[in-house]
Amino acid sequence: MAILEARGLSKTYRKGPHPVRALDRVDLGIERGRLFAFLGRNGAGKTTFIKIASTLLLPTEGELHLFGHDVVREPALVRREMALVPQEGKLFYHMTPREHVREYLRVRGVSAEATKSRTDAILDEMGLLGYQDVPALRLSGGLQQRTLVAMVLATEAPFLFLDEPTLGMDPFARRQVWEVIRKATGRGSTVLLTTHYLDEAEQLSEELAVIEGGRVLYRGTGEALKSTVRREVRVQFTGAIRPEELQSFGKVFAERGRTVVLTTRASVRELTEVALARGAEVTVGPVTLEEAFLELVGRGIEEEE
Amino acid sequence: MSVRSQAYAAFRICYFNGIIPLWRSPLLMAAVFLTPFSFLFFLFVIAPHALFPYGVVGGVLFTALFTGNGMLNDCAYLRLERQLQQVFVASPVSPLAYILGMALSELAFALPAMTLFLVILFLIQPIGVLAALGIVGLLLLTWLMATSLGFFISTLFSQLREIWPIGTLVFSLLSIIPPVFYPATEIPAPWRWVAFVAPSTFAAQLADRLAGLGGGISTGVPFVDSPYFDLVGLLAFTLLFGAAALFFARWREN
Repeated sequence: MAILEARGLSKTYRKGPHPVRALDRVDLGIERGRLFAFLGRNGAGKTTFIKIASTLLLPTEGELHLFGHDVVREPALVRREMALVPQEGKLFYHMTPREHVREYLRVRGVSAEATKSRTDAILDEMGLLGYQDVPALRLSGGLQQRTLVAMVLATEAPFLFLDEPTLGMDPFARRQVWEVIRKATGRGSTVLLTTHYLDEAEQLSEELAVIEGGRVLYRGTGEALKSTVRREVRVQFTGAIRPEELQSFGKVFAERGRTVVLTTRASVRELTEVALARGAEVTVGPVTLEEAFLELVGRGIEEEE
Repeated sequence: MSVRSQAYAAFRICYFNGIIPLWRSPLLMAAVFLTPFSFLFFLFVIAPHALFPYGVVGGVLFTALFTGNGMLNDCAYLRLERQLQQVFVASPVSPLAYILGMALSELAFALPAMTLFLVILFLIQPIGVLAALGIVGLLLLTWLMATSLGFFISTLFSQLREIWPIGTLVFSLLSIIPPVFYPATEIPAPWRWVAFVAPSTFAAQLADRLAGLGGGISTGVPFVDSPYFDLVGLLAFTLLFGAAALFFARWREN
C-alpha cells in the first residue's frame, strides 16, 4: 500500500513575467519501507515535488497524501512523520556536528537517553567522530553536508526526504551515507531521494522515477529503465578506428580516449567483427543507467519539441 | 508534540541560536550595545541634561525594539541562506515554537544591554518595585511585538538583499523617529497625534510614566491621556503583529 500518494499534482510558479509549470499532473505512489529515487535534469521538478510533499510549498492543483493525511489540509499531522534534508542546506556555523544532531533531536521531542545513543551512533556511522566537536565554520563543505544528513537520519522519522543528500561529498563519504540510508529503510523508514549521481540512484533505490519538464517519463527499477532504451548495448573500442566508420551502428561518442558505440543487440556481432578486423580492443556490456537516462530524457525533450 | 514539548523545543532553539553563539562569540553583543549607547552619548553631549533620563528609557526600549530587527535578519538568513527553517518546518516543531524560540534567542542577545540600561535608569531615577516590575513587563511586551513583526516581515521576501534595508528602515522608523529617546512634548503640538501611528510611542509613554518622567501627549481627553490608553495601544499592536506572525506569515511558500 502506498504511504505517499500524489494524484494530478501540479505546480505553476507565477512570479516573474512568464509563469513556470514546474509539475504537470504528476501521479505517483511510494510504498512503505521503499527507497525511491527521483532523477531529472536541473529544473525538471524534483525539488518542487519534495517541497510539496514535505509541506514547504503549496501545490497549484492536485493532491498529495502522506500516511493518509492531506499535506495541504493536515500539515501538522504529516510533519510528525517526516524529516527533510533540504537542497544545499547549510549548518549553524557556530555549532559542532554533535550539537547539531543532539539539538535537532531534542527539539523534535526525542528523549535525552535516546538522543545520546542515537547521536553517538550516527556520528560513528557517518564517519564524523573525529570532527564531532569542531564548529561547523571550520568543517569542509562535504563534512558539513554529512552533518546535515546525520542530523536528519538520526530522527529515524518514518518518512525521510533527502534532496541531493550527498552533494559535494567524496566517494568514500557517499558510500558511508548510502549505508546509513540503507539502514534507515531496513528499520522501516521510507526514503524519497533526489540525486544527480546516477550511480547513487542505481546503488540505492529499489525504484526510481525520471522526471522531465514536470512530468514523470518513467517509473520502475533502474534495470528495467536500461532495458527500455533503443540501444541497449555499450561497445567500447581502443585502437585505430575512426568514429565516422561506426556511425551506422548507433550513437558514437568519445570517452576518455576511447570510442563508445551504443547499439542494438542485433548489431553487436557485425560491429565487433569490424572492429576486431581493424585490430581494435573491444569491450561489450550493457548501457549504464546514465546512458539510459540520457536517452529517455532526450526522447522526452524531442517529443516535447 | 504536546504543548510542553513545544515549549521545550522553543527553549532549545533559544539555547542553540542565542546562548551558544553568545557564549562562543561575546563580541556579537557589541552591535546590540553600540547603537543605543551612541544615541545616549549624543543626547548627553548636545541635549539639556533634563532629557538624559528620557534617553536612558529610550535606550532600554530601543534594545527591546531592535530584537525585531535581529529576528527579521536571523529568520531570513536561516530560511534563505541556510535553508534551515525548512528543516524545522518539515518536522513536528510548530510554527509557534519556532517563532518563540527564535524570539527568545533575540532576547538573549538583547538582555545584557537591556540590563545595563535598566541599572543606569534605576541609578538616576528613584523607581519603586512595582514600577520596576511594570517596566520589565513592558519590555517583554515590546519584545513580543517587535519580534512578531520581524518574523512576519522576514517571510515576505525571497532575497536577503531586499530584506536588509527593509529591516533597518522599519525598525529605525519604530525606534528613532517616534518619541522614544525624547518626550513627545518636543514634537510641535499640531503633529503630536502622528506619533500614535508608531506602536513604540505607546511603549515609550508608558515607560516614561513608570519611570516617573512626564512629557506624554496631552489631548484633553481623559482616557487618551491616561496610561491605560498607552497600554491598550501597545497590546493592540502586539496582538496585531502576533496574529500576523502566526496566521499570515508564510510558514510555507505558495
